[in-house]
Amino acid sequence: MTTIHRGFVIRQLTTSRKQSIVFVLCVALALISLVALRGFGESVNRALLRDAKTLNAADIIVSSNFPVTQPVLTKIAQLQAVGAVASARTYQFLSVARVANGEDTELCDLKVVDAGYPFYGQVTLASGRPFHTVLTPGNIIVAQALLERLKLKLGDQLRIGEATLTIRDVVLQEPDRPVNLFGFGLRVFINSADLDALKLIKPGSRISYRVLLKVNNENKLNPLAAQIKTVLAPQENVETYLTARSGVERFFSNFLFFLNLVGIFTLLLAGIGIQSALTAFLRERNTTIAVIKTLGAKNKFVTLNFLAVVAILGGIGALLGISGGLLLQNVFPVLLRGLLPPDVQLTISGRSLIESLLLGLVVVGSFTFLPIYQLEELKPSFIFRKETTRLRHGLPFYLILLLILSFFIGMVLWQLRDQLRIGIYFVLGVIGLLAVATLLTYGTLFLLRRARIRSLALRQALRGLFRPRNATPAIIITFSAALAVIFCIYLLERNLDQAFVESYPPDAPNLFFIDIQANQLADFAKLLPVKTQYFPVVRASITAVNGAPIDRAVEEQRRGDNLARQFNLTYRDQLAEGEVIKAGGTLFQANWQGDNVQVSIADDLLEARNFQVGDQISFRIEGVPMEATITSIRSRPKESMQPFFQFVFPSEVLKDAPQSIFMALHLPPEQIHALQNKVVAAFPNISVIDATQAIANLATVANRLAQVIRFFTLFSVLAGVLIVISSVFATRMARIQEAAYYKVLGATSRFVLTVFTTENLLLGLVSALLALCMAQTGAWILCQGFFKIAYHPAVGASLLMLALTILLVTGVGMAASLSILRSKPITYLREQASEE
Amino acid sequence: MRAWLISFVIVLLFTACGGAKPTPTVAPAPTSTAATPSEKARVIVAMGDSLTEGLGVDMDQAYPAQLERKLQADGHNFSVVNAGFSGETSAGALQRVNFVLKLKPEIVILGTGGNDSLRGIDPALTQKNITKLVRAFKAKNVVVVLAGMQTVQNMGADYAQKFQAIYPAVAKAEDVILIPFFLEGVADNPQLMQDDYIHPKPAGYAIVVKTIYPYVLQAIKALPGR
Repeated sequence: MTTIHRGFVIRQLTTSRKQSIVFVLCVALALISLVALRGFGESVNRALLRDAKTLNAADIIVSSNFPVTQPVLTKIAQLQAVGAVASARTYQFLSVARVANGEDTELCDLKVVDAGYPFYGQVTLASGRPFHTVLTPGNIIVAQALLERLKLKLGDQLRIGEATLTIRDVVLQEPDRPVNLFGFGLRVFINSADLDALKLIKPGSRISYRVLLKVNNENKLNPLAAQIKTVLAPQENVETYLTARSGVERFFSNFLFFLNLVGIFTLLLAGIGIQSALTAFLRERNTTIAVIKTLGAKNKFVTLNFLAVVAILGGIGALLGISGGLLLQNVFPVLLRGLLPPDVQLTISGRSLIESLLLGLVVVGSFTFLPIYQLEELKPSFIFRKETTRLRHGLPFYLILLLILSFFIGMVLWQLRDQLRIGIYFVLGVIGLLAVATLLTYGTLFLLRRARIRSLALRQALRGLFRPRNATPAIIITFSAALAVIFCIYLLERNLDQAFVESYPPDAPNLFFIDIQANQLADFAKLLPVKTQYFPVVRASITAVNGAPIDRAVEEQRRGDNLARQFNLTYRDQLAEGEVIKAGGTLFQANWQGDNVQVSIADDLLEARNFQVGDQISFRIEGVPMEATITSIRSRPKESMQPFFQFVFPSEVLKDAPQSIFMALHLPPEQIHALQNKVVAAFPNISVIDATQAIANLATVANRLAQVIRFFTLFSVLAGVLIVISSVFATRMARIQEAAYYKVLGATSRFVLTVFTTENLLLGLVSALLALCMAQTGAWILCQGFFKIAYHPAVGASLLMLALTILLVTGVGMAASLSILRSKPITYLREQASEE
Repeated sequence: MRAWLISFVIVLLFTACGGAKPTPTVAPAPTSTAATPSEKARVIVAMGDSLTEGLGVDMDQAYPAQLERKLQADGHNFSVVNAGFSGETSAGALQRVNFVLKLKPEIVILGTGGNDSLRGIDPALTQKNITKLVRAFKAKNVVVVLAGMQTVQNMGADYAQKFQAIYPAVAKAEDVILIPFFLEGVADNPQLMQDDYIHPKPAGYAIVVKTIYPYVLQAIKALPGR
């Protein structure tokens, strides 16, 4: 009798449909969230990698400021000969070009390229012609501004070095030009065949030499780069498009990392849901199982057949989950519009799909194992006793529990393998969270148990929580822990959002002027339509602190700010708006007697050095040494966008120092362009920075990110709901029994309803309150310690979350209890009698 | 993606201006330490750009510190104040000449103009600025040692010639001591230059000190009262 009995399996599947549905949904949810996250991550990654190739125009880049050495060239020639790579050399340098038949000159940023350039991306020309058909020997392609400044047109000639070359087209965009706002010189593309004729590469020239390589087999990328590395001279550098990744990519990988954590958490919740749904399902089978065991069924038979049932249900769930996840891929483009490059294809690879499926099955397997395993401990005598004896948990039980736990820890660590420390924090965090939730739950239940309550309904409801075999503590622990994380994410998101809004209020400065000279100030101010604040800026560096010289190497290794950089100082005699004094009492001391000058420092410098009032700092201000003593430490709200200076001196000390003036103001966007033109015309030395677009972009991006996070958090909320539903099912039998007894004792349906509702209400209230406490504490710690922004407890939203949770728990509980209420007690009692 | 990058850079840039966080650049150079307590060291100011400030090397390896050690070792009680400022053009130097004069130098080693040439600034303008600088120091009886600079050869022969001619011309017209080429024997040697090929390594600065030392001694001899 160790085979699968088809009739038995089908019968198990067709009865207790609700429990089966919850089980299937939990499995589906786990897989949807896995597939969706993986697909999303994969798509973002693919887009970023392609972008990285374009930004480098190649797979491997060898670069040097000295001529590329012979061993490297030989090595590349060898690789090229065997067809492993294609290569193209570029030479980039500044030079002063002259109109061929005139005296006008202009500084140009020359880029001399071989035919293969660029391997990825495109150089876009004004004519729309392909780059390499235009850039033939003797011809050049230039920036539009060069034509304007030298009053030239296409077909005119330019004298560069010793060569005279003909301008054939205008470049609009090139793939690998770094965004360099301070770049000097206008772009000129030259064919490498003309390089020698220029006679500009000679001793004493400063040329940026590059060899771009395209590999023919993507898998050989790193080995090839490593091969080249072995022959490099010290001044040469080799990078692949993977190692030369940008800050944006780092940002995305952090973001995906955060989403992965949310994903793991969803998986954990879904797993708990799976387990409790299955437990509820099997509990209703206890009698059946006991009966078939009495009839001689072996444990093996029972386990095997129920495994078959679970496998079928799990299979349906997996199928649902995978198709749901695939469907979701189509939702992403809408969700992420404006966040990702426009041409990202959101698809998921077959390999990822299979990986998700395997991972999902492991989760289902590990969480179903316990309930199934416990079937073996069910004794045939169960049919004779109404109360089950508490199932004893043997060594195998704990071993399996350990297995599940280590599986999850392993998965977290694997997910975070690049950031092991964070992974360990995360695991410790989850364990800590569960420990806190457990402590709080038992504490609260202990208090509730001792409470003296007069109302009968309320008292009965409370007793209901401590019903034998009732999983109240387990439900509250999992539920409050899950809710705590969901609440916490929500609170964090609100606070980050708030901080963002506060940093960019509608009247935040959007226009910045730098390098205004002191003697221009009066005339410049007349140009501005509004009165505004201005800030003198004096450049300085620090040479020593308390007599100890600054060690450049040590300073530059610091993660945060470092003291080896240049600082912009200012002078004033009052605190700026929003600033507070943290130490020292006043900004400066009124009757200062010391030999040194006074300086006030910002508290964010404390990250670089543990400064204290009274410390001595040796400055070199505009090249002139100056000894200063710290007389105060200032602080400002972290999210403030007001100009902020690390060092503030008294006016009398710096007012004669060479300085430029910095101004920030807010203007309606439509007025900016006109003002910008006026300023450029009247004061060519003043730089104008218009941040309107940047701020708008930032706001859009922040909103999109919040949306993505909310979207993935939704999965954990759904998992939470499923846990509530399955836990109600798990206690269904006990409730039916209770309802029958209440009614037999003369209670009305109304009373029973009140008791059950109150019980659910209590459950929801306790879980939600505990969760809120933990979430508020967690969010507060993270805001203060990690994000360093002001914390707003969001009372309204918190109450709303509380209300919603209670409504949800009570609602789900009620829905599941309605059928119990409608049943007549006699039905239950008759069933009991007939069984005996 | 491009738009993204640009907006990021702009935000970085404008927080840089607003929050006073410029790009990290340079290690500050040393201040003076007097050799003998009995006699107060006399002041030489090394004024210039990153070549003076010592971009990329430790503060005590830039040429002013090395020069001071050599002078002290040879019994000349002078302190050499590093008044170099990275990225500064001759126009910028002109703006802070009065501030530097507060240091009360007896000798100024003036090494500016390099950044002018890297920006392709008209050599005539650079020459005018350097002339004004020299005159401002001479007006306060400061002995000027003018450090001759050369531009990188890729700027084109025309430009390079015009630029290199500035220094001898100013030295002759204003009758000041001229170091023919500040980076003689350093600029074309990869071993002595940092990877950016603009700034010397500490060993490069040692050669710079060797190059300029005779001219500094000449300036000391020219001081009134010697």
